[in-house]
Amino acid sequence: MDLLIEGMREAIEMLISGDPEIFEITWLTLKVSLSAILISTLIGIPIGVILGLTAFRGRRLLLVLVNIGMGLPPVVAGLWITMLLWRSGPLGSLSLLYSPFAIVMAQVLVSLPIVIGLTCSAFQQIDKNMLIQIKSLGATRFQTVSLLLRETRIAIMAAIMAGFGRVIAEVGAAMMVGGNIRGETRILTTSIVMEVSKGNFDVALALSFILMSLAFIITFFLTILQQRNKKQ
Amino acid sequence: MKPLIHLDHIQYTSKERTILSVPELSIFHGEILGVMGPNGAGKSTLVKILSCLQAPTSGKIFYNGVEVPAGNVSLEQRRKWAVVLQQTLIFDTTVFQNVAAGLKIRKVPKAMIKEKVEYWLEKFGISHLAKKNAHQLSGGEAQRVNLARALILEPEVLYLDEPFSALDYPTKVRLIRDFSSILKETSTTTVFVSHDISEVKFLTDRLAILKLGEIIQLGFTAEVLQTPHHEAASFLNEMTLNLE
Amino acid sequence: MKLNKIFTVSLLAVFLFMMSACSNSTNGTNEKNQAKPDETNTAEVKDLILTTTTSTQDSGLLDVLIPMFEEEQKNTNVKTIAVGTGQALEMGVKGEADVLLVHAPDAEEEIVNSGDAINRKRVMYNDYIIVGPSADPAGIKGMEVKAAFKQLFDKDAVFISRGDDSGTHKKELGIWKSIEITPADNKGYAETGQGMGNTLQIAAEKQGYVLTDRATYLAQKDNVDLDILVEGDDDLLNIYHVMQVNHEKHDKVNSEGAEAFVQFMIADKTQKVIEEFGKEDFGESLFVPYTE
Repeated sequence: MDLLIEGMREAIEMLISGDPEIFEITWLTLKVSLSAILISTLIGIPIGVILGLTAFRGRRLLLVLVNIGMGLPPVVAGLWITMLLWRSGPLGSLSLLYSPFAIVMAQVLVSLPIVIGLTCSAFQQIDKNMLIQIKSLGATRFQTVSLLLRETRIAIMAAIMAGFGRVIAEVGAAMMVGGNIRGETRILTTSIVMEVSKGNFDVALALSFILMSLAFIITFFLTILQQRNKKQ
Repeated sequence: MKPLIHLDHIQYTSKERTILSVPELSIFHGEILGVMGPNGAGKSTLVKILSCLQAPTSGKIFYNGVEVPAGNVSLEQRRKWAVVLQQTLIFDTTVFQNVAAGLKIRKVPKAMIKEKVEYWLEKFGISHLAKKNAHQLSGGEAQRVNLARALILEPEVLYLDEPFSALDYPTKVRLIRDFSSILKETSTTTVFVSHDISEVKFLTDRLAILKLGEIIQLGFTAEVLQTPHHEAASFLNEMTLNLE
Repeated sequence: MKLNKIFTVSLLAVFLFMMSACSNSTNGTNEKNQAKPDETNTAEVKDLILTTTTSTQDSGLLDVLIPMFEEEQKNTNVKTIAVGTGQALEMGVKGEADVLLVHAPDAEEEIVNSGDAINRKRVMYNDYIIVGPSADPAGIKGMEVKAAFKQLFDKDAVFISRGDDSGTHKKELGIWKSIEITPADNKGYAETGQGMGNTLQIAAEKQGYVLTDRATYLAQKDNVDLDILVEGDDDLLNIYHVMQVNHEKHDKVNSEGAEAFVQFMIADKTQKVIEEFGKEDFGESLFVPYTE
């Protein structure tokens, strides 16, 4: 209990004192996680819509892959990205390993299937007659999709939130592909692991509070956005 | 008189079962055509094919004497008609936005949308609901929104698939009265699928009786109801019995 | 439509925010990368991947040394990757790292012999110690290390091993081997598969014995309820070597930076810093300079 209070006190102190390293780590975490979820959203929603609305050869196989991907262990994603980015790997010449970009890649890999899968299931649940109704209003294909996106926005936001939750909580892959390099790829989760292994529980606890606050603030914002018009 | 819509040897089969088979059907400008028939007679399919929301297996559709390429209707063409389906599928947003949906799709200027929506909300007596979320409406209110959403488009043809079936009796009577006067005022060509003889009697000019995918009788509503053919008669009797 | 707008606008806002964030991040690294050539007007900044062990990183020594090195070599950006010794060495063999700082002499010699690593230099040592519960139920306090291990085995004491192929783990296995004992036969023997810090914490929870490097133990002393029971034996020296990955075998290696780093580690100035490191916080230094 003392440790908890101590940790919370330390967290507040770290933030108030403006410890530049903490600020840097927090800022990097935010940048990396938000970029990852943004990319997953921009790629995942269109794919989810296509998978949910259309029928084509191999769709079922793709869905199975997406569903497997939803449970993809982050360390597996990390391992794959590492091998891809190794100097001896196919993308080795780009020297991307141990950079924030590599962390974003790994996080996209673990969050993309979630966004695709949940978007797809939201679109599969749409009444077929709703499609006909929208079409009968004279909508183009694009207008149809945008109307449907609006109809399913709660489920879509849930998909984004689930993806974000995965991304911000992720540590195994970030450790592997980022390397937890001070000032470059050290993010909150990897710092927590490191501080715990150093035995600095108070610092780790403080970092965990910062991480939780970050997750809370962003999820809160997304939830407000999701529930916006439900009050009327 | 040249028909506005003409069906020529339309067939629709699904899983080797003939759902609809109409050798010939003409719908004339300004008329209200009623369609009745037992469940599974192909009424909804007929509406979907007429409104080009579903392509027939074979046959041709002519609109104003010009063949409409089935399954590949131009957007411009599609926007000439409006459809009200059996289920009231309204959007999860305000009543105003629901009624405005079709106009927004057509990129009508904002000021004009506002003017028109207000006009049609007034006409259907739902102005006071404009800001309410459409998912919180009663059945009758929702159906009014559904109809206003279609009529605001000022379609050349209006297709209605049992729009009043889910309503309780007094609501239905009031809505049909309002609706009938609106249709007469705008003289919109209408195809109206119904289960209810009194609705048909009140609203339609001609009536087609559909059974097992085929039109077994077609004529002026009063005539059909008075002197139905053998098969149509048994169906109509059943309907009347059901009413009582 | 209103909420549709809100939705779009906020998505856009998030997007813009991230665009700026991304450009910032690239700027961030660029700034760092550009600042250096501006001052020296030399070639572009090159990354130098240093793999080392978690225990080295956890000691905090590199947090002092790396900035010193980067100050000296302005066109080098060191990326320190702290992993287990096994992985650190393997990354050298694969050419994924440029320079290694590790403490597993036998394994190091192997990769020098295979030609994957060159220019191997001794840097420093600290020592291994056996720590355990202060009550010392197995009664090994003050014993010589091999005897202590035998005693622990015979008494079936709780012994917590790293089990992660790290330098420390290799050291421990070497001792077991020298007294011809297979420790896994014992019920009290457990492998954590984790770093030194975590292993110490687990040992403290289970009140077990553990072989640890002194630096990690000193850093954790306040958190773990374990005492030093065996120390000062020659067999317990934990020697660190620095070596560069052979650029003739792996062409993508930054050999200039690696060579500079090796030179830096054995330079007098660096050695002095190593000697002083930790005295302030722990009352004794964590490493002893030990170059050839």
